[in-house]
Amino acid sequence: MDTTLQHRPLSTQDLEAILDVTKALAAPFDLMTMLGEVVAAAKQVLRAERGSVWLYDEAKGELVLEVATGIKPVRVPWQSGLVGACARSRRIINVPDCYADPRFDPHVDKASGYRTRCMLTLPLVDHKDVLVGVMQVLNKVDGVFDADDEALAGALAAQCAVALQRVRMTAALIEGEKMRQALEMAREVQMSTLPATMPAVAGYDVCATFRPADLTGGDTFDVSLLEQGLLLVLGDATGHGIAPALSVTQMHAMLRIAFQMGASLETAFVHVNNRLARTLAEDRFITAFIGLLDPTTHEVRFHSAGQGPILRYRAARRDVERYKPTSFPLGAMQLASLRPEIRVAMEPGDILALVSDGIFEQENRSGEAFGEARVTALIDEHRDQPAAALLARLVDAVQAFADGAPQADDMTAVLLKRLPRPVAEGAFERRFDVIPALVAFTADAFARLGIDTRLLARVDLAVEELFTNMVKYGRGSGAPVDIRLYPVDGGVELAMIDHGVEPYDVTRTPDVDIAMPIEERDAGGLGLHLIRRMADSFEYEYDPQHRDSRIKVRFSVAGLAGRRP
Amino acid sequence: MLSIDEGAGGIVVVSGRLDAAEAAAAQAFLDRRDGTVTLDCAGLDYISSAGLGVLLKTQKRLLAANGKLRLAGLKPHIIDIFTYSGFDQLFEIEPAR
Repeated sequence: MDTTLQHRPLSTQDLEAILDVTKALAAPFDLMTMLGEVVAAAKQVLRAERGSVWLYDEAKGELVLEVATGIKPVRVPWQSGLVGACARSRRIINVPDCYADPRFDPHVDKASGYRTRCMLTLPLVDHKDVLVGVMQVLNKVDGVFDADDEALAGALAAQCAVALQRVRMTAALIEGEKMRQALEMAREVQMSTLPATMPAVAGYDVCATFRPADLTGGDTFDVSLLEQGLLLVLGDATGHGIAPALSVTQMHAMLRIAFQMGASLETAFVHVNNRLARTLAEDRFITAFIGLLDPTTHEVRFHSAGQGPILRYRAARRDVERYKPTSFPLGAMQLASLRPEIRVAMEPGDILALVSDGIFEQENRSGEAFGEARVTALIDEHRDQPAAALLARLVDAVQAFADGAPQADDMTAVLLKRLPRPVAEGAFERRFDVIPALVAFTADAFARLGIDTRLLARVDLAVEELFTNMVKYGRGSGAPVDIRLYPVDGGVELAMIDHGVEPYDVTRTPDVDIAMPIEERDAGGLGLHLIRRMADSFEYEYDPQHRDSRIKVRFSVAGLAGRRP
Repeated sequence: MLSIDEGAGGIVVVSGRLDAAEAAAAQAFLDRRDGTVTLDCAGLDYISSAGLGVLLKTQKRLLAANGKLRLAGLKPHIIDIFTYSGFDQLFEIEPAR
């Protein structure tokens, strides 16, 4: 006889009993205690000899009978037997004579030696209509279960279901909290290895940022001044959860130790890879950029293990050069041989940008990725800003782009900027009456850039002679003449750019014959002759595309003493 | 800026910058002088080829009339310019004392 759960009016006595049970069920928080309480309540209310609760394991599609703490639970497919039939139909099944019902499984009786006469099987469904399990009560003390018992059992089952579900959810929450705490700890370890401050490197501005995603991500970076140069590392471990956080931390430490022990770039790279290949799980690897800057030669040498693209902003051309990886990700397999390292010559104003996937791949709410083009456009736009400000702009731009879409991965970036050369720049109309302005410009530039004033007269002479030549011979052009002064080691460099003119190499004009008698001499060609005598170097370059004549002249304090007649 | 003036004893005193911007004014002043002209250059800070051109033209004119231009009190870096240009061979030069 199967009966739908219905709540018939209960007697006051029954109600009292159920209320007592409800009170009892409010207390326990662990599953075994709760199961004990539920069974005890059922036995008491229904005057049954025994009771048991099968919990529904939705993930496995099984019903599970927890026998006692420490004993392996009994599991049955959720379709099988009376419990299965009840779970599927969600109806009370009242069997007055078990051994007459084909759905009854006598194995449990055989194992326990107990004989089941009659049985009430009832579904435990919580108030959200979720199947929690199935309860069975066996052998009514004085006969078989009747319709009143069914009604009472229905009311009891609802209470038990809610109580059990509460305990299971609490347990799941506690488990989740434990996971979260473990992950948080791994992340803390991961972040604790990141350098707190950036080393000071003359002529460079270096800055890094790390923005962890909430749960997953395995980024790391390192910027550290070592004997081999300035170490630059950006790493990104694959996978989710605790493992990537721990494996990048391991790589970070290995690299530090290898370099501190004096390893070369190649040795460190190969050894760390091979060590990680042995220790990382089969399906794990780390993409990484590992580079060294020599701040005196301005050369960055690097290997990239699957980390890319590596971007180098070229200030002079205002474009970006991309470098591909030199090797597969670290730890993927043992390295038999290694391709040559990549060497990058950092020019003044150049920016090396190491950027993790988390930035390139950050999506907005329509699923579009931030992408490389936005990163390079941003670097170009803010090229004159300090590295820290540029990074802040980048992070702001990614966040604005995401527009509330979740951050799926760690965002990490390291920027290495070679400081631009200090320069004084001016543009001068091609007229003779601007000469006083030229004089004021050079005097101000010398003062501002701290150039040795003993060189001022020579620079003034070069500026005046070259400028007057440009005015005399470049009449076709209306563009002003650009003049730049740069301090250089022990002296100064002058650059003058004459726009929109025909080529004329001023460095190749013939010398003046200074031995000629006075009657034959004039002042022609004297200016360039004097520059050649006084300058350390004098160079001419023509840019046919812009029709620019570019002249570079260097003067040094050491050159003041020399005589070049 | 350049200043060029008559000093004590008929000496011409020049100071400041003898550059392309000032060459015409200096030329006009020197064109009015004859005979042997002494130029006191103690205050001369700067000279370019335009300034050298003024001195050369003046020297040629004076020599042709049996006069000459004498330069006195030149600063070392001005002497350098005269040396590099060979103008030290064209003038009687008295360095700064």
